Amino acid sequence: MDAFQLLLWPLLACIAIAGIHAYLGFHVVERGVIFVDLALAQVAALGATVGFLVGHDLHSPSSGWFSIAAVVVGAGLLAVLKADRRRIPQEAFIGIVYAVAAATAILIVDRTPEGAEHIKFMFVGNLLAASPDEVARLAILYAAIGILHFLWRKPFFAISRGETGAMGRTEVRLWDFLFYLTFGLVVTQSVAVAGVLLVFSYLIVPSVVAMLLADGARVRLAIGWIVGVLVSVAGMIASYHFDLPTGATVVTTFGVALALALAYRAVVPRGAEGGGETRRAGRT
Amino acid sequence: MKPTFRTNALRIRRLLAAPVAVLIAAGYFFAGVPHGEAAKKIDVVTTTQDLASIATMIGGDRVRVESLSKGYQDPHFVDAKPSYLLKLRKAALYVQVGRDLEAGWAPGLLNNARNSKIRPGGPGFVDASNGVKILEQGGRVGREMGDVHPLGNPHYWLDPENGLVIAANIRDALFRNDPAGRASYQGRYEQFERQLRSRLDAWRSRAKALGLNGMNVVTYHRSWPYAAKAFGFDVKDYVEPRPGVPPSPKHIQGLTRMMKDENVRLLILEPYFDPKLPAQIAKNAGAALVVLPPSVGAVPEAKDYFSLFDAQLALLQKALAAGGRS
Repeated sequence: MDAFQLLLWPLLACIAIAGIHAYLGFHVVERGVIFVDLALAQVAALGATVGFLVGHDLHSPSSGWFSIAAVVVGAGLLAVLKADRRRIPQEAFIGIVYAVAAATAILIVDRTPEGAEHIKFMFVGNLLAASPDEVARLAILYAAIGILHFLWRKPFFAISRGETGAMGRTEVRLWDFLFYLTFGLVVTQSVAVAGVLLVFSYLIVPSVVAMLLADGARVRLAIGWIVGVLVSVAGMIASYHFDLPTGATVVTTFGVALALALAYRAVVPRGAEGGGETRRAGRT
Repeated sequence: MKPTFRTNALRIRRLLAAPVAVLIAAGYFFAGVPHGEAAKKIDVVTTTQDLASIATMIGGDRVRVESLSKGYQDPHFVDAKPSYLLKLRKAALYVQVGRDLEAGWAPGLLNNARNSKIRPGGPGFVDASNGVKILEQGGRVGREMGDVHPLGNPHYWLDPENGLVIAANIRDALFRNDPAGRASYQGRYEQFERQLRSRLDAWRSRAKALGLNGMNVVTYHRSWPYAAKAFGFDVKDYVEPRPGVPPSPKHIQGLTRMMKDENVRLLILEPYFDPKLPAQIAKNAGAALVVLPPSVGAVPEAKDYFSLFDAQLALLQKALAAGGRS
């Protein structure tokens, strides 16, 4: 049981991350804001960098507050910049926020003696180093934000589906702000534990696999969670068995899961399964 | 048309079958892994190959030494693999370079390996930098004044004399953890010291013959102050103004001018950085670019802690013969 004991906390961290990200990924894919996690993670890192410049260590609690403040600003920006969505796609703004935040961090780092190495640590993550404390912290934060999302599910899902007819512009912006804020808080914590690549995969792949296999929101969410947990377990086993870097192995396993879903879709075309899948049977 | 509750429930049940199967397989897999037998040899795990090489020379047959990172990897950034945890789990001794070199990856692994012997403060924890005269060290004040890392520059193994301190630290830890081998460890340490001292004389005279004494050089990263101290060259500036930050055009301009004015003949680069920009700077300034192995294992010739310095001097000789101004 040695291997199991050693990999228990990293695996639990993965499962916690899968839990919230497969859900958030549903919104992110529906809204077409695929890279928003990278942008917000970068904004959080920029906040920590500013904190670093004025003398707070990158792993101290006070540095965390700088990150959170930056995420609040970033969420506000993304909510406001959505206004002109018809002419300028939201992804354009997200890309710009990402690039400018990353570049600003470099300019700030240029003023600090230790340089960029510590900033890089923020994006690498170290899954195998996940401690029981960290996993507990993740689980509590994710559960709290999960509850908020459950309470606010109506506006969040309505906006994600583009059904904003009944809402005023300010109202939409407020909900968007809350969405990006909670999202930013989640992503910042997950990136610190698992790294950018892995968090991106947990967010997008389960959701896309689910879209390939089913239509209804609930089924898609269920599939997303199952895919997230399965890939975590399979990735960990593969990483152990072949002794490969764990984060990269799990990301690649996500690629395999997507390939399997695509293969299934190629063999069993949409609509051939009958049942509730006829709605989008796009064989026109 | 929305999917009915019934089809949903059916589908979910079908979807659940696969994960349950995988979980059961996983259980068998993990349970089937044999327990590590308590080995007779002392398991020593080091973070770098330099430390591993020295530990092998001191421990001899009584120890089994493994390094987590490879010499060609940047020791600041190492992608952890599950085997690292397994190695740390059964290790009697853990030896690190310290001074925050491994701060990005090792502490978390130490925690998760669940081996209290090798945690900081445990009998098997060895910070090889204990007792080394650390350069570029400063406290909070030093950081605000300039380019100083709070714990000092961690590349101290590049001065062969510090190899002796590392060896003594490892020897003392082996004394503690394997008292029966005391005589063997002491004997091997003395042999190591004799060999190192005689080679050090040879390395120094070779460095002198190459004209390294008092030579002005520029380095890419701040990896070489200890080597500079050992072999008498003078690091005038760095290509990277700050670690990890690409140089500004002005910095490159100033650096190139300085290199010409000060007759800088060498630009030293670590193998894990992109050589394009340094090569251009060296060319413009009329200096020779040399990629030096900073660790055992970074090039095939650097097989152990002794051949590391042989390899470095051979590369310096080649570079100085081939290029640069006289």
